[in-house]
Amino acid sequence: MSALSAESTVRVANTGESLAVELRGVTKTYGSGSTSVHALRGVDLEVKKSELVMLVGPSGCGKTTLVSIISGVLGADSGVAKLFGIDWSTLGNEQQTLRRGELVGFVFQQFNLIPTLSIIENVSVPLLIRGVREREALERAAAALTSVELGDRTKSLPSQLSGGQQQRVAIARALVGEPRLIVCDEPTASLDGHTGQVVMDLIKDTARSRTDENHRRCVIVVTHDTRIFHYADRIVEMEDGRLKKTLSQHTLEEAAHVPRFAEESPSPDEASKP
Amino acid sequence: MRLPLRADCGWAKGDSGANALGGMYKIALRMLLRDRGKYLALVCGLSFATLLIAQQGSIFLGLVLRSTGVLQNVGQPDLWVVDPSTRYILETRPVGEQFVGRVRSVPGVAWAEPMFSNYANVEFADGTFKRVQLIGIDRTTLIGQPPEMVEGSLEDLRAPDTVLVEESSRPKLNNAKIGDVLRLNDKRAVIVGFCRAKLGFESNAIVYTTFDNAVRFTPVGRERVTFILVGVKPDADRTAVAADIRKFTGLGAFTPEEMSRRTIGFILYETGIGINFGITVLLGFVVGLAVTAAIFYQFTLENLRHFAVLKAMGTRNSVLVRMVLLQAGVVGMIGFGIGCGPAGIFTILGRKPGAELAPYFPWQLLALTLVGMMICIGLGSLLSLRRVITLEPAVVFK
Repeated sequence: MSALSAESTVRVANTGESLAVELRGVTKTYGSGSTSVHALRGVDLEVKKSELVMLVGPSGCGKTTLVSIISGVLGADSGVAKLFGIDWSTLGNEQQTLRRGELVGFVFQQFNLIPTLSIIENVSVPLLIRGVREREALERAAAALTSVELGDRTKSLPSQLSGGQQQRVAIARALVGEPRLIVCDEPTASLDGHTGQVVMDLIKDTARSRTDENHRRCVIVVTHDTRIFHYADRIVEMEDGRLKKTLSQHTLEEAAHVPRFAEESPSPDEASKP
Repeated sequence: MRLPLRADCGWAKGDSGANALGGMYKIALRMLLRDRGKYLALVCGLSFATLLIAQQGSIFLGLVLRSTGVLQNVGQPDLWVVDPSTRYILETRPVGEQFVGRVRSVPGVAWAEPMFSNYANVEFADGTFKRVQLIGIDRTTLIGQPPEMVEGSLEDLRAPDTVLVEESSRPKLNNAKIGDVLRLNDKRAVIVGFCRAKLGFESNAIVYTTFDNAVRFTPVGRERVTFILVGVKPDADRTAVAADIRKFTGLGAFTPEEMSRRTIGFILYETGIGINFGITVLLGFVVGLAVTAAIFYQFTLENLRHFAVLKAMGTRNSVLVRMVLLQAGVVGMIGFGIGCGPAGIFTILGRKPGAELAPYFPWQLLALTLVGMMICIGLGSLLSLRRVITLEPAVVFK
């Protein structure tokens, strides 16, 4: 984490309409009384569209709580949490669910694929939830799987795939509904170096894949994995429920000592080069 | 690596509702049916529960119905006239023969014939004996005759000292055959035929003879008529005729249905059978239903994480509820269907003539079992749904 030294406050990335995520004074406490845990203690954060932001910090610092609130799966106790201008606190449960389905795609550490569904069915689920006819949903799921180089495994069950392949399925599932925000929770934690690189390339491409202003998306990655820091536009470090530091892309590029997948674990292709 | 996706999905265009549900219903069914281990455990558990409920229920109903065996064997009368304090078809107090004439004189009565019913002992050469149900019917009209002759002729019953034996009772009477002589209460009785009839509550062998023979075989006091079987004129109202018989004779007059109800009521409420066997049946019912609810609850719990993922991805609670209910309904119906099979086979085997078990499996029991199953699956689902509805989608990050 030595790369995170330059800036000690979270910088407002942009203003107005270009913001994907806007948090103001967000707090969250679990439990009550003497057993209460203050997961977030007044967090302010802004994330631009097209940005790939990584949240880092020790276990229990509030990273997961923060992305849960950003993505609308958890409510804040106080403060304002907006996603693409929508204040989650102004929506009822039903509306939150619908908006979440529309705006957010998830990639989990443990993939969270439904084991009894084939991978094409897993990928089609977000579309089915949104009312797309099954035939069309499967076609689009097949296209999404092809794009993550799993077009020939559409009938396979998740258990028949390697960890890296399952994570690619999860990415295809996260992207198939064209969400504006992709939330990745430790996406490379269960993967080897090369596979992690492939997955991060995909995620990075995702953030860049839409250029039109109205459909640009951003990616928030929660990670402990220092090997993937170079993929970030910005790294935000958390500690004890607060944002501690932020590190910009420029600073990252200068931080030559940050290890990369390529340095640590060359891909087979690269390894074979003379 | 750009994903070739379309922004104009159905949801965005408002194409939701039935399509969304259809797709998600299929997902729910695939989650259920493709998890073969859990699915088989669910189906087996629910089938067992169904079998337990249906089989226990059918035995209980069969046992209760068996108590009305004598009534079922006599199809001709519109009314049964008995001592007014009679509560059970086999617990009777005979009335005098003069009452037969009095009943015949009641307006609306087409015919009235005496019938005798009592126990007698058949003694064997080795010194052992068997208790039999001795039925005496009118020698002239043969009203009260057994429902079906299997061997021999009913007319032969008019000969002196003759009896018919209920077919399934043969083994109880040392595999008797036509022409054999029974020692009935120390009197000679010649077997002239075999008939088919419902056994009574105590499963005693049934022996038919004429009223006069019956009285001779089993001497009683001056009152010798156990039942007076009454036929009502076609244009008469049998309820009104019954009321008149009660009024003019002081005896009890009941339709066969009323007599059945009295008998069943006696078995249920006046003996320990109702409470004892009822508790056993109820326990089977409760265990079956509890198993059903617990199994389905467990199934949903094991899928809770998947439901959380679906919820995080935008599935509304109402859709999740319908998915769970669909899973419950499908697995419930399959389990019910499979469970009914062995219950039906058990019933068929148990209803063989002479079988000591007499399961009775009417459609009402089938419907009741289905309703019970659905209530319990519903209960299991409700418990599950409470978890699904209150599920924080944030658990997907844990």
